[in-house]
Amino acid sequence: MPDKIQVHGVERVFGTGPAAVAALGPMDLNIRSGEFVCVVGPSGCGKSTLLRVIAGLIPPTAGEVTLQHEDLRTTLMSVVFQDYSIYPWKTVEDNVRLGLDIKGVGKAEAKPMIEGWLQRLGLLNFRSAYPHTLSGGMRQRVSIARAMAVEPEILLMDEPFAALDAQLRLVMQEELLALWQQDRRTVVFVTHNLDEAILLGDRVVVMSSRPGTVIEEFVVPFPRPRSTELRGTKEFAALEAEIWKMLRQEVRDMVLEQERAGA
Amino acid sequence: MSINQTAPSVGLRASSGGQVVTRVPGAVETDRVRFARRRRIKDNLLRWGTPVLVLSLWQLTTALGVLDEQFWPAPASVFAKAWETIQSGLLPEHLGVTVQRLLTGYLAGAIAGVALGLIFGTVRSIRVALEPIISALYTVPKLALFPFMLLVFGLGPAPKIIMTALAVFFITCISTSAAVLGVSDAMHEPIRSFGATRMQTFRHLIVPAVLPEIFVALRLGSGTAVLVLIAIEMIQGSDGLGFVIWSSWQVFDTERMYVGIIVAALMGVIFQMGVKAIGRLLVPWKPR
Repeated sequence: MPDKIQVHGVERVFGTGPAAVAALGPMDLNIRSGEFVCVVGPSGCGKSTLLRVIAGLIPPTAGEVTLQHEDLRTTLMSVVFQDYSIYPWKTVEDNVRLGLDIKGVGKAEAKPMIEGWLQRLGLLNFRSAYPHTLSGGMRQRVSIARAMAVEPEILLMDEPFAALDAQLRLVMQEELLALWQQDRRTVVFVTHNLDEAILLGDRVVVMSSRPGTVIEEFVVPFPRPRSTELRGTKEFAALEAEIWKMLRQEVRDMVLEQERAGA
Repeated sequence: MSINQTAPSVGLRASSGGQVVTRVPGAVETDRVRFARRRRIKDNLLRWGTPVLVLSLWQLTTALGVLDEQFWPAPASVFAKAWETIQSGLLPEHLGVTVQRLLTGYLAGAIAGVALGLIFGTVRSIRVALEPIISALYTVPKLALFPFMLLVFGLGPAPKIIMTALAVFFITCISTSAAVLGVSDAMHEPIRSFGATRMQTFRHLIVPAVLPEIFVALRLGSGTAVLVLIAIEMIQGSDGLGFVIWSSWQVFDTERMYVGIIVAALMGVIFQMGVKAIGRLLVPWKPR
């Protein structure tokens, strides 16, 4: 069977003429079914753009993305966004049901599915609350529940924990790890946090500074199921150091480029 | 070292060379319940006492002959006049006429404005074609169009209703269109990623997202609508609150003039508060 996600020579340019900015590519990346791939890179390297191209939110300016939709009765993919992009006018429950509403699933039929996810993400007691009454961590849980409720074959996550404080981030990583290990679906997880990428991913893809291309891939050798204790091991630290060595030059290049642009 | 103690919660004690700074609860913190109650009583006294004081002063100065009763009739005589006009049926009749015109014109203008604004916000080609015209017309003083309306629609109620509608139409249309365009990409992306149709996007995203801004425009429009309608009733026709005010001035019945002004003001306030209340009902997710 072909790979679940195939990215071939994908490029994305924003703007036209002299103001045009090459944000991404050419980019090649293959992701197998059931694989958890983390994409890391300096800010502005186009990793979010890559995710949006895969999600079909923006078209590539060159190249091609091919996705295998195995079972047409299920949803191909859903996205967890960086900011809490849940809707302030919908209650927690209504937010989680959004994907099912769009698919035309009736309220009665959706109810047990929604409740399962509210339960798993600890949101049952807040089902009738509006988002402005929730903490940042709660809102991001709603966002994850919304994406999971449609039971997608592919889950795309765009720095989902970036807006959370450091401690909450650790908790949410742990929860995601547990959640994913129950039903291993294909995940593309964009982050700038190496430690997060190693903890969660089967593979870590390192991107260059803008326009982003793949400069290196690391297979994460730690067996599943993993827990957050993995962080304390020597092997974990060694892998993190190795990836950072790769990335450091890219981050420096980015800073230099920004300074040039600013001067 | 001598330092003035400004608040009871801050104490300073000089010691050899340095000083010790202490922070302790003040009077407010030690008895919060009593403080809150006292503040509530004080606020209410100020809120209701001020208008009562102004009216009493007014009454007093007219009684003492400081203010000329011809121009400044005493509040008591204005209230007496109001009662008289209510009993004679004059006030209810003219108020009824004005309220009916106001509601008809306002609703028509608001509905048209919101509808066109939503279309502008979603259909680019229509926006590009029509929005410059709407923006240009918005700045035309609406009252200047009134003679033209009389020419086209005759002397019946239609020109007044249309003018009232125009007063709210432009502001709701322009605000709604801007609000739809202002819905951020971050809000559009989730629903697009689920593959929503245009109607689904409208229902789940656009309409709720722009409702708060529509109601701000509707509130602003309510003031303008009252203004335009009263002004038009003053210059043409023989009914409505505007007519009452203007004709009273012409026959120098200052008391009746004041009655008209106060009723028109109250009508405007109640109308605006009604629009605000409906907005609150329809936007339950906003923190109060």
